[in-house]
Amino acid sequence: MTIDRSTPGSQTSLREANRARIVDAVKRFGGLTQIELAEATGLSTATISTIVKELLGAGVVDTRPTSRSGRRALKVTLARRLGLVAGIQFGHRHLKVVLGDLGRTIVAEQHMPLPLDHRVDTGLDRAALLVVDLLDQVGASMDELLTVGLALPAPVDTSTGMISVRGVMRGWDDLHIGQTMSKRLGRTVVVDNDANLGVLAEHELGAGRGYRDTIFVRASYTTGAGIMLGGHVHRGYAGAAGEIGHIQVDPTGDICRCGNRGCLDTVVSSTALLDLVRSSHGDLTLRDLIARAIEGDPGCRRVIADAGDRIGSVVAQVVNTLNPRRVVVGGELAAAGEVLIGPLREAVLRHTAPNMIAPVEVVAGELGAEAEVMGALTLALQSAEVATDHRTISTLTDESSAGRPDRPPAP
Amino acid sequence: MNDPTPTPALELRGIDKSFGAVRALSEVNFTIRSSEVVAIVGDNAAGKSTLAKIIAGVITPDAGIIESEGVPVTIPTPASAHALGIATVFQELALCDNLDVVSNLFLGRELRRGRHMDEAAMEEIARKILRDLTSRIPSVRTLLSSLSGGQRQSVAIARTLLGNPRIVVLDEPTASLSVAQTAEVLTHIERLRELGHAVVLISHNMTDVRSVADRIEVLRHGRNNGSFPGHSTSYEEIIAAITGAVDFSTPHR
Repeated sequence: MTIDRSTPGSQTSLREANRARIVDAVKRFGGLTQIELAEATGLSTATISTIVKELLGAGVVDTRPTSRSGRRALKVTLARRLGLVAGIQFGHRHLKVVLGDLGRTIVAEQHMPLPLDHRVDTGLDRAALLVVDLLDQVGASMDELLTVGLALPAPVDTSTGMISVRGVMRGWDDLHIGQTMSKRLGRTVVVDNDANLGVLAEHELGAGRGYRDTIFVRASYTTGAGIMLGGHVHRGYAGAAGEIGHIQVDPTGDICRCGNRGCLDTVVSSTALLDLVRSSHGDLTLRDLIARAIEGDPGCRRVIADAGDRIGSVVAQVVNTLNPRRVVVGGELAAAGEVLIGPLREAVLRHTAPNMIAPVEVVAGELGAEAEVMGALTLALQSAEVATDHRTISTLTDESSAGRPDRPPAP
Repeated sequence: MNDPTPTPALELRGIDKSFGAVRALSEVNFTIRSSEVVAIVGDNAAGKSTLAKIIAGVITPDAGIIESEGVPVTIPTPASAHALGIATVFQELALCDNLDVVSNLFLGRELRRGRHMDEAAMEEIARKILRDLTSRIPSVRTLLSSLSGGQRQSVAIARTLLGNPRIVVLDEPTASLSVAQTAEVLTHIERLRELGHAVVLISHNMTDVRSVADRIEVLRHGRNNGSFPGHSTSYEEIIAAITGAVDFSTPHR
């Protein structure tokens, strides 16, 4: 990014650096108005306006009118023709594949139910075919696909793209998932834990925006957490940070999938929750349980509320250790809203040392069921080699502005 | 709603059916409740389609009892199945390629206003049903010939929903579909269940069946060979029951 050809400090190098800063900011936030761009980059609005015009002419960005706090504004996004990125989320019972443009607007998506303990080969095969099909749907060719981000409900060693704790996803342990998918699609495939991607997405686009220290709690078929410290996702040495589902809550409890005893997951996983309602409500799925809780069924509400309390008391320990500003709650169970989050919040506050300056806030995620795929898109985008390198951009701008007599004056 | 075992929407007990010397079904039992997806799986000639056709009123059983909401009934014709709130989508979808989506949905039961067809009302209903199914057919005026296999399947499913049936029978809905189309059909089945319909799903594909079924009924040589909860049974258990590696059939025969 700072490989300067021209003399540092010269007008040209300054302008090139400013261009790169603007493209970086647009890439990071997906879409920003010019005023927001000025805030994000520290450049003057006049400079922003001039450079955005140049970039627009070069086809690096697109602008469209929007309104910001009631006033007309111009929203800047990266031009779609620069390419598309794909986000894939494997859940315990579903697969979700989305295509996003570089402004992280989802342009196509497909949801697919999956069986319990779905197989890794079938799963990856279906995901790859869905990516190709979605590209077809939006009339894009394979060439336009830049990178792919993939979310898994298991701790992932991001350097190898392998699951780093055995037994969490049956049958998925021994495969280099990133590599296998890369080979199949011919693109870089970055793999990460779904909660890590959740925190990334909520940090950039959702309830964690503007907070540098955030924890994303993913309450789903199993429970996990994504940790954002100082604006960076903390994955740990081998990607197993934030595995709150495997913190012990009952020393005499059941044996967990991971091999330990009485983990949080043994009391709040979907299996545990559905067991609780079997005698009163019959065989339900997790989706049924959540739907009925929303409809007001007292038994289902109680089960989810108690789960919120158990999860909250574990999250409190994480809060005591890391002192985040915000806890953002996502995952399928979060669809039950305050039924889950109310007791979770209470438990967090009850078990943490009261902070006089800034007590921790516990809020619902803003991205809902999209958080993980949005995170996958974000990660894919970060690993994509978009033309943020100022040399590429300046080449683009110079080429296109050469034939344009109405070139705006340099700032 | 909190009753764990409500009255079955449809219950078949001791169903026998022979075609000449061929015994297609023998003492077969089958139960389905509303908001439930029950899959019928089995090898070729295990009796899956025969059972579906009996439910659809296409063929009548030689012996056995059929109860709808606890009331004994007979299903001698497809029309009587329709009257009982049973709608079936057969493998051959029976749609017209040269007509658009709306015309296909309302074929033979067009809405009229005076002497003319009420196109606006039909479009409105078609749009609503497709939306309920979360279908992604762009326009209800698209010709069937320009739709994909999965989209045709959703038109066929939407067509059954017009009569607001209690029970929807789907015969091999994902056979010969691409992954994306399969994804779409499976999502429709999830939707049907959430809308409160009972869904009978006949399929060969264990992955699809285990993705959406609440219960999996195995047929083998025309007999029941095990009933499994769809959300917690492994491939191996079901395959074992289908191939006869494990015998779950009832002892009295």
